[in-house]
Amino acid sequence: MRLEPLDFPLSLESEVCESRLLTHAPWVRSIGVSDWPIATEGWKFPSPPSELCRPAKPLNEARGEQPAPLLPDLSNPAAKPAIRPRPTADTVIFKDRLLYLLQPPLDNIFNGRQLELPFPPFPYQLEGIAFLMPRHAALLADEMGLGKTAQAILALRLLFHQGMIRTGLIVAPKPLIHNWSRELTLWAPDLPFEAFDGDAEDRRRTWLVSNSPLKLINYESLTRDVDLATDPRVSFDVMVLDEAQRIKNRDSKTAQAVRGVARSRSWALTGTPIENHPDDLVNIFAFVDPGRVPPDTPPKRIPALTSDGILRRTKDDVLLDMPPKVVRDVAVDLTPAQRLAYRRAEDDGVVHLNELGDTITVQHVFQLVMRLKQICNFDPLTGQSAKLEQLLHDMEEVADSGRKAIVFSQWVEPLHVLAEALEPYGPLQFHGRVPQNERPGVLERFRTDPTKHVLLMTYGTGSVGLNLQFSNYVFLFDRWWNPAVEDQAINRAHRIGQKHPVTVTRFLSEGTIEARIAEILEAKRRVFQELLDQADKPTNRGLSEEEVFGLFDIRARPFRK
Amino acid sequence: MPPVTLGFLTVLQDTGGHVGGYLVTNSWGRPIEFRLTSAVQPTRMQAILYGGTLTDYVFGELLGKTLIEKTAIRPTLIVTDTPVCLALRPHVDVPIVAIAGSDRPAGVIELSHARCSAPLLLSERFDADRDRILTQLGGIDESVNLSEPFTRIREAVAEARKVGASRAA
Repeated sequence: MRLEPLDFPLSLESEVCESRLLTHAPWVRSIGVSDWPIATEGWKFPSPPSELCRPAKPLNEARGEQPAPLLPDLSNPAAKPAIRPRPTADTVIFKDRLLYLLQPPLDNIFNGRQLELPFPPFPYQLEGIAFLMPRHAALLADEMGLGKTAQAILALRLLFHQGMIRTGLIVAPKPLIHNWSRELTLWAPDLPFEAFDGDAEDRRRTWLVSNSPLKLINYESLTRDVDLATDPRVSFDVMVLDEAQRIKNRDSKTAQAVRGVARSRSWALTGTPIENHPDDLVNIFAFVDPGRVPPDTPPKRIPALTSDGILRRTKDDVLLDMPPKVVRDVAVDLTPAQRLAYRRAEDDGVVHLNELGDTITVQHVFQLVMRLKQICNFDPLTGQSAKLEQLLHDMEEVADSGRKAIVFSQWVEPLHVLAEALEPYGPLQFHGRVPQNERPGVLERFRTDPTKHVLLMTYGTGSVGLNLQFSNYVFLFDRWWNPAVEDQAINRAHRIGQKHPVTVTRFLSEGTIEARIAEILEAKRRVFQELLDQADKPTNRGLSEEEVFGLFDIRARPFRK
Repeated sequence: MPPVTLGFLTVLQDTGGHVGGYLVTNSWGRPIEFRLTSAVQPTRMQAILYGGTLTDYVFGELLGKTLIEKTAIRPTLIVTDTPVCLALRPHVDVPIVAIAGSDRPAGVIELSHARCSAPLLLSERFDADRDRILTQLGGIDESVNLSEPFTRIREAVAEARKVGASRAA
């Protein structure tokens, strides 16, 4: 029997246990209440340069008697969404994406006291600014007159304020440098800028020494200074090309110089991204985003490659309440003297062309076209002009109503003749023979002097970038080869700020080469939809070689190997 | 007076728990610094033990205080769209206002100001903040609506979660 040992050990264990309880603290078991694991992640954003940090204007000074902007009711789901820059697909750095997402709505910024503005931008302009700001590659292709310059300047200004850019270069055609200076002063008075000026040494200093955050140069100077522009010490956070169709020829010195400048952001501005051929757009993109659109890309593929980087709006899209543009084609009968001269020139010219046989070139045909167009303007012997008679009649009405008119011609010489004939209306001239430094004064006089009712311009000098919205009449004394250039000319007057309807008068001499050219161009204008909207379209907006030969009843054609 | 610097604090409900988002801006809403927290999900035990004080603790002391302490820029006024975050006030020396929502906690005072389309609330215990708050509100650009930056914070938090998710994948 082995029962005894079983009872004894049990009582012994009980005694040991009691002893430990008396001499030790009771054990404690954590249930993890105080265990709150929490981690944070943060991002600091760049500050603007100190010179841009100006204190806000006092309320009464900034807004005068105007009431404060009404705050939108954000709880109302039907309220219009705020316009803000959004990160693009190619914004890969998360901090950059956050920075765009966290920007205040543009409407707020421009409604407040922080930014001095002559007047608030239109909503579509805010969308343009929101389009440009996050993009490193952008083509703003709004129709002429919608304020591309102002949109670009305000986008630049905000990026400077946010400390996201510190240097910028604006390249514009020479005649528009003054306009850019004025617009910069208007839309970004707190943004210092410097225009390249003076001799080579002055420009060298501006390239290499100047600390100005924003620099302004014309295409010619940039091309001349290409060695400095491509110097390794020179680079810009943003480069803006105005009238970017200037680089539509990929191999031109201008295009090469422009592409050679080191830059982080490339913005192009043009109302006519395709003047003649889809390649125009491809070549602009060689600057905007090198490599995105290879040179031999088929036209049908271009929209898919470029659409994310292009914003284009027309007046019909955005300005339903803008005063209308009335286009009237005025057919004039040549005077007897003009008719005689015209017939003789055409008959002789056609005979001459046919005699050329297969040595004929398109240039020969152009020479005849030019000759005939000049006769349509003025008879070479008597100076008679059916168009001038009509213009004098119309100008009387323009001046009587206190309005102003712009007259465009392809050549300078007719403008001199018109200036004499239009003397009672205080004509001013603006063309390539007017010295560069006198041109701003001409425009200022036209704007401010009530006795100056008419401005005579050439297409080449006056068709781009100028703001002449105080004029309500545009006369196309003769027609340009390309409707896009004519549109640019017309849009000097029919643009933002215009308060009255704009009447465009296109003179056409009946039964002449002018009518034939106009017919072809008009047909093309109708058929040709911007490449931005469709891929399957004619490839040229001007006249093709075959169309030029087809202007006359000639059998001769160039010899082809 | 030092320039007005605003701290916008919100707490969002994520699938993983509560996430704090905090945006510091200048007086016209330009972002200066942004910070967010990982998701916090109280356990059942924590919920039992903290009882009625759990929300105040998580929103105010845990998320809010952590965000403000970790952020380099110190605000002159904190604005929250989550009135519970007023519980943060005893833990920081910065006045706090909440944008009134549908549910209004007890112990708050209401004030209205042109910078916000909804009423603003401040803690009754900190009524002395009222003058400081009004001074700060007066220094904010007139185009700013105090409700608006929370839209931005929500988008930024969503973006961060998306990126976090793609990183995890």
